[in-house]
Parts: sequence; C-alpha cells; structure tokens
Amino acid sequence: MGQTSRRPSPNRLLSALPGRERQHLLARCEEVQLRFADVLYEPGERIRQAYFPIDSSISLITPIDGHARLEVGLVGDEGMAGISLVLGVSEAHTHAVVQGAGAAWRLDAKSFKDELKRNAALRLCLHRYVYVVLGQLARAAACTRFHVVEARLARWLLMTRDRAHSNSFYMTHDFLAYMLGVRRAGVTRAATSLQSQRLIRYSRGSITIRDSRGLEAAACSCYAYAKQTYDSVIN
Amino acid sequence: MALRHDHNQNRLLAALSPIERERLVPHLKLVSMPLGKVLYESGNVLSHVYFPIDCIVSLLYVLEDGASAEISVVGNEGLIGIALFMGGETTPSRAIVQSAGHAYRLIGRQLKDEFHRSGHMQMRLLRYTQALITQMAQTAVCNRHHSVDQQLCRWLLLSLDRLSSSKLTMTQELIANMLGVRREGVTEAAGKLQKLGAIRYSRGKIAVLDRQKLERLCCECYAVVKKETDRLLSPP
Repeated sequence: MGQTSRRPSPNRLLSALPGRERQHLLARCEEVQLRFADVLYEPGERIRQAYFPIDSSISLITPIDGHARLEVGLVGDEGMAGISLVLGVSEAHTHAVVQGAGAAWRLDAKSFKDELKRNAALRLCLHRYVYVVLGQLARAAACTRFHVVEARLARWLLMTRDRAHSNSFYMTHDFLAYMLGVRRAGVTRAATSLQSQRLIRYSRGSITIRDSRGLEAAACSCYAYAKQTYDSVIN
Repeated sequence: MALRHDHNQNRLLAALSPIERERLVPHLKLVSMPLGKVLYESGNVLSHVYFPIDCIVSLLYVLEDGASAEISVVGNEGLIGIALFMGGETTPSRAIVQSAGHAYRLIGRQLKDEFHRSGHMQMRLLRYTQALITQMAQTAVCNRHHSVDQQLCRWLLLSLDRLSSSKLTMTQELIANMLGVRREGVTEAAGKLQKLGAIRYSRGKIAVLDRQKLERLCCECYAVVKKETDRLLSPP
C-alpha cells in the first residue's frame, strides 16, 4: 500500500463528533492493526466488537448458496463495522473480512452499547450512518441488476482507493470476481478493457490507478451517488 | 370500516406499550391504499409514515435512467418511512402500493418525537431497520445470482406472507418493475410456474395453488429473509 501517510487519518464518523464526546469514546477504544483476510465476524455469530477503520478497510459479504457470494458493503475510514449493534442486534448477518490491512479503533460490544446510551451525539451520528448504509444497500440491489461488470469494477476500484488512501493495491482476479459476484472471465475482460483505456495498470495482482478522472467516468453513477449521500448526511 | 380495521393488525403498533399507545393511537389515521398508489418518490421529504395493516407496499430503487428494482416489501410487520427517524429526512426509494388495502398514517413529527424518547418503540423500530437491511442485502445478492423464476417465487412468497388470502392482484408491468426485468421475462417466468402447477396467472391476477411447490422452486433468499425478520421482530 504505497502512499499511506505515516500519521493515520482519524475515522470520519468519530471526527464528526463534538470534541468532548469524541475524547470520551476514544479513551475507551483501542487502536488495533487489522491484517489482510482477518475475519472479524461471521453470519449468525455474536458481534463482539465495533470497528472504526482508520486506514484499513473491511468488506461486508453476504453468503449465498454455500458458494457464490457478493460484497454488499466496503467500510473504511468513513464508516464502522458492526452497525447491527447500533440497531440493538448483537448477531451478525454478514461476513466481515479485512480487505485492506491497516489500523482501526476497536471497542468491545458492551462498552459500545454503554457509550451509545450515554452519548446522544454518537447515537445521532450513527443513526445517520445507518441511513447512509441503507441507501447504499438499496442502490446496490439496483446496481447489481443493471450495471455492467466494467462499470462496477471501476466503481469498486475507486471505493477501494478511497479507503486504502493509495492508488495501488494488491488484488487477484478471483477475489474481484468474488466481490462483484461475477465469473472470473468477466473480471478479466473488464480489467483488460480498463487497462487498454489506460485507466489502470494491472499486473500479477497489483492494480494501479493511472487516471482517476477517467476511471470515475468509466464507473457507474453509484460511485458519485455514494459520495454525495455520505457528505450530505454525515457532514 | 372501523369495525374491520384495528391498529393492532400492524405488528409494530400492536407491540406498543400502554403509555406509547396512549400517546400515538389518537393520531393514527386509517387511510385506504389503492393498487399502484405512489406514497412518495425518491428524494421526497417525508411528511408521514405508514403502518400497513392489510396492504403491501413495495420499495423500489430507481436509477437515473428510470430503471427500477425492488429492494424490499413492507406489510403489516413494518412501516414505510424509516428514513425519518434515522435522520435522513429524504428517502432514497420510491414507495408504491403493490397490493391494495389499508394502512394507518402518522404525522412524521409524531413518530420522530416518540423515537427520540428512547423507549420501547425506538428499540422496535431499530430492530425493524435491521430486518430491512437484511432484506435489502439479500435482494442485492438474489438479483445477481438467481434466475427470474426464482426471484418471482421469492417475491410471491414474501407477498403471500403479508396477505390474508392466496390471491394477488397485480399488473404485469408492476411485477416487471419490481423484479427489474422486461414484461416478457415476467410472462415467461409466470408461465413456467403455471405449467408446474404452482400458480394460476391470468390478466394480472395471480392465485397461488401450491405454496409448498413455490417454496421448493424458490432460492434460499426467501427463507433467509423470513427467518431473520421473524427473529428480529419477535419480542426479545
């Protein structure tokens, strides 16, 4: 992950809290390093911790038919993993897997719930975040139905870039196929096309975004939509 | 009408505590929900929320080019307008009546005030939100991986659970919009299910003949959503 800044950026949800409330919460959090492919929780399991990524990212994946799966959310420094806890539900309904190694604030479920109870600003902020997530999920249902693989891949690469804070990252075709819920051949075709338009460079699993603007133009509208919604609701 | 309809027919309203009931019930207004009525469009500011009692409302996501896909169905287990208490004000989806009936309508402000009392009602509404999240995630996956036939089965079963009869009145166009497919796709899928003896389909009326068969033909998505919804909405 080439260009991550040395000082980790704070999580944006936490940044949105008033100073005192943020201090209070952070005093109860511990900063942890998440490793690639770490599983934070699985469907049906009790969620033991809430995570606020700093420069890591976490994929939320819905299982299906025992094999084919689909990523339904990608959480980075704009969000939190474990939002079920905000809704008073302790059991997970997705897989949460670390997709981008890096730092995150972690808080155990009990402390998180206590904090949520006493901290009205946190409650308000996280309810709004849930609203954003609902909008993204609704959008995902339409996106997976109507948008072509190439546009979805472009969007996904941009989302990953935003969360990794880097224009280069490591990603196999198999992993991409799994995230996008398409065949490997479909991903290869889409990646080759983006490469031939000089938008990305792809070799041996290493992806570099060469032309951000161009890639944004190639992405489906869902990318811009997600950004706008987040900015208008959270900030 | 007052004899036939009762707010307790909606599960969220039935679960109100006595004091919540005292505060909210006087403000509930019974409204008729005709087939195809649009309660709101995406981007609208919500002024009211609706608690269905015997109708079904479909939430559709509409893309910029007009293409739409259903993201969830809401019946007497839920309410329409959760954006309001989650602090978003506007709604990302279109809400359209998919099966005619009635609902109780409440001024948004009143629900918001009740929500912010942080009582029993808030907990119920949050758990319902989680049920909706599960349904949306499952629908996204289903749209990606399952055939139109399977999706039609899922949609029929979710609808049936929210109705007291086994007959649905629907236009083909409405079903096509729900499933995000062409009308021909719906005709074909419905034709198949009819041939297998699971449903009878004619001029926008669907009668379910063999529910078990429908469940067998369906993808797992129906069972996942149903189980999760029942779990989240039953008293903890």
